[in-house]
Amino acid sequence: MGVIEDRFEKNILTTSVDTVFNWARRSSLWWLQFGLACCAIEMISAAMPRFDLAERFGMLYRASPRQADLMIVAGTVTKKMAPIVRQLYDQMAYPKWVVSMGSCANIGGPFDTYAVVQGVDQVVPVDIYVPGCPPLPESLYYGILELQNKVIKYETIAKKHGTEEAEADRVRSREEAQMALGPRR
Amino acid sequence: MSEEQANAAPAEHPVAVSPWATGYWGPLDPEQHPAVLAVRERFPEAFVDAVNFRDEMTIRVERSRLRDVVEFLRDHPDLRYNLLTDVTAVDMVRLRTSPRFDIVVQLYSIPKRVRLRIKAGVDDGETVPSLVPLHAGANWLEREVYDMFGIVFEDHPDLRRILLADDWDEGHPLRKDYPLRGFREYVQPGFDAPAPRVRSRLRRP
Amino acid sequence: MVIDFSHPTPVEISEERQLTESRREMVLNMGPQHPSTHGVLRVLLTLDGEVITGCDPIIGYLHRGVEKLGESHRYAQFTPWTDRTDYVAAPSNNLGYVLAVEKLCGIQAPERAQYWRIIMAELTRIASHLVWLGTHALDIGALSPSLYCFREREMILDIFERFCGARLTTNMMEIGGFSRPLPPDLTDMVKTFVENFPAGQKDYETLLSKNPIWLSRTRGVGVVEPDVAINYGLTGACLRGSGVNYDVRKAQPYLLYDRIDFDVPLGSHGDVYDRYLVRMEEMRQSIRIITQCLEQVPTDGPMAANESNYVIPPHKNVLRTAEDMQRHFIWVIKGFSPPKGEVYMAIEHSKGELGYYIVSDGSPIPYRMRLRTPDFVNLQSLPYMAQGAMLADVVAMIGTIDIVLGSVDR
Repeated sequence: MGVIEDRFEKNILTTSVDTVFNWARRSSLWWLQFGLACCAIEMISAAMPRFDLAERFGMLYRASPRQADLMIVAGTVTKKMAPIVRQLYDQMAYPKWVVSMGSCANIGGPFDTYAVVQGVDQVVPVDIYVPGCPPLPESLYYGILELQNKVIKYETIAKKHGTEEAEADRVRSREEAQMALGPRR
Repeated sequence: MSEEQANAAPAEHPVAVSPWATGYWGPLDPEQHPAVLAVRERFPEAFVDAVNFRDEMTIRVERSRLRDVVEFLRDHPDLRYNLLTDVTAVDMVRLRTSPRFDIVVQLYSIPKRVRLRIKAGVDDGETVPSLVPLHAGANWLEREVYDMFGIVFEDHPDLRRILLADDWDEGHPLRKDYPLRGFREYVQPGFDAPAPRVRSRLRRP
Repeated sequence: MVIDFSHPTPVEISEERQLTESRREMVLNMGPQHPSTHGVLRVLLTLDGEVITGCDPIIGYLHRGVEKLGESHRYAQFTPWTDRTDYVAAPSNNLGYVLAVEKLCGIQAPERAQYWRIIMAELTRIASHLVWLGTHALDIGALSPSLYCFREREMILDIFERFCGARLTTNMMEIGGFSRPLPPDLTDMVKTFVENFPAGQKDYETLLSKNPIWLSRTRGVGVVEPDVAINYGLTGACLRGSGVNYDVRKAQPYLLYDRIDFDVPLGSHGDVYDRYLVRMEEMRQSIRIITQCLEQVPTDGPMAANESNYVIPPHKNVLRTAEDMQRHFIWVIKGFSPPKGEVYMAIEHSKGELGYYIVSDGSPIPYRMRLRTPDFVNLQSLPYMAQGAMLADVVAMIGTIDIVLGSVDR
């Protein structure tokens, strides 16, 4: 103990610990197994040996929302299903993130019909939008890596300035992501 | 040599088996089709007509005798149409005024390997005898017809909406007067308006 | 308000009945979000201890209005939505649709295109059965076969990607054939796959077929007698597992299936284990069909029909000749008008009989587009199978019917 404290100044030691904690937080996101439609098959393929989202990234799929901190909404959200999506989101514990995978979850996809909610951000707040129909597993990877950056940013701000600041920053980044989606019908 | 070559027919790639005119639905002529003759003989007052298009035989009957006709076709020893493939409906309001809907029943005979289509005209508000006592597989098919068109089936054990939510109050979607995008946008329960759209930077003025 | 769900129509239980009857039954909701329901299926189970006394599947959580979309878009535009109904076997859905439209228009694709359609359809059948086996085994508890199945499935998806550019929702089949030339290395890719697949299939057989746990969980479970199966309108492996010989490829051959020699496996007991064996054997027969097709397919020849009305012109002509460019423009923007009438075309999809019923009023937009999907009809037999069974068997039964909710709900 004494050896370490003499070698490093105080703030460098804190930063090293921060790095360790951030690595641990972003590398152990457990996602809720919530596949709705075709994108679910690509999500399952991403978890399978060729793309291996599960083992390589430390992510694990959980069946119960109470044990998950990431919800990947993969597929079309219909008006019949939307209250259930909201209920699952509410059952997850803080801090929680939502990735909207595929164009049906982003914006309704090719289904502009009477029964489809045009985008899951009408129901739950979304952090990352992954485009594609369905997105390649590599696209989902890119989304997850961006999400990991967001997790680090959230945790760093929460540690330094408190949770409200971190939440406000998250709301801002959600709005930016939603604006980047483009004009809606 | 050159004349022979010139007169010879150009080498054509052999054309594959065509999906019609191969007897999958029985004889092409309605007057020779055994199902048409049997139905016409047994139900002379319910038989309307029989049409053949692309080798497919369609028999049109009165809606009140629909279940009897299907039962007769299933139990007849020479016909044996024992597999109910599909029960659906078509909203004919743009093509004719009355009756509004056409109930379409597709049948298949596993021993004889022939298909058949039965049609019955139904008006708005009229009911159709259900095929569930004959074929248990008609249960959900008829529920879907009720859900999408609003056609009620008599003697159906459990007629409620199947594909849309139980409390869907906006009507029956596959009718021709129902718009594709529906009437209302989704409102999260507990809120009174849809979620506000963030104004996009890319939006053209 | 206490509702009795075990009754065919849910009825409210009156106060008097609540007081007099001591109810031992419990209603369990196997909700739309569940790891074993293959999507968003909800099953309301009425249990007496572990034994199921009532089962009510509730579907519609993925109803997207595909049939209504078919009434407002042109014939050629509708193909991508057929992909998304049964998304694990997308080329088969496309195939059924284009065959129905070709029947309506009265055209047929040339022989070379028909052979490649068969090859792609059989590869799709194998891919779909691999997803079925992976998820079915995963639900019952065997975690390894799913990893092996998806390994083989990635090889098939590579072939699809080489052929048409997309892995999952392929939009592969076109009306009249294929408008673009075949990539040169595709035959070799298919040959490599055909050579390597039997070894992979042996892996799953070794893990499952004689496994005592698998046998005790699947033998005698979910028994459907042959006449009950016909009464429910089942098709596909659910019907053939009960011993009824009905395969559309043999009974009413389409494409060139009558030139190809293959067997149709039949079960005898109608339980989950027999359906498993039937589907494994179907995969082997698919390899046999693909091998014969690769031998019989002509190496040159047109890949698209030569009809000027209904078929998109070949891609390279569109870029070079003026007439074909104009024809392409009109075909895309205005669409073609098939004759008035109605057709019903059925193909043997991996899950059963997939039928398309198209009513045309002579305009470029269909009047009615009906998809008769096999899993919608097959799923009706779940209450029959689950009557008197144990709770843990429901998961095996849902898996053995092989549902994909996009196809059930459309």
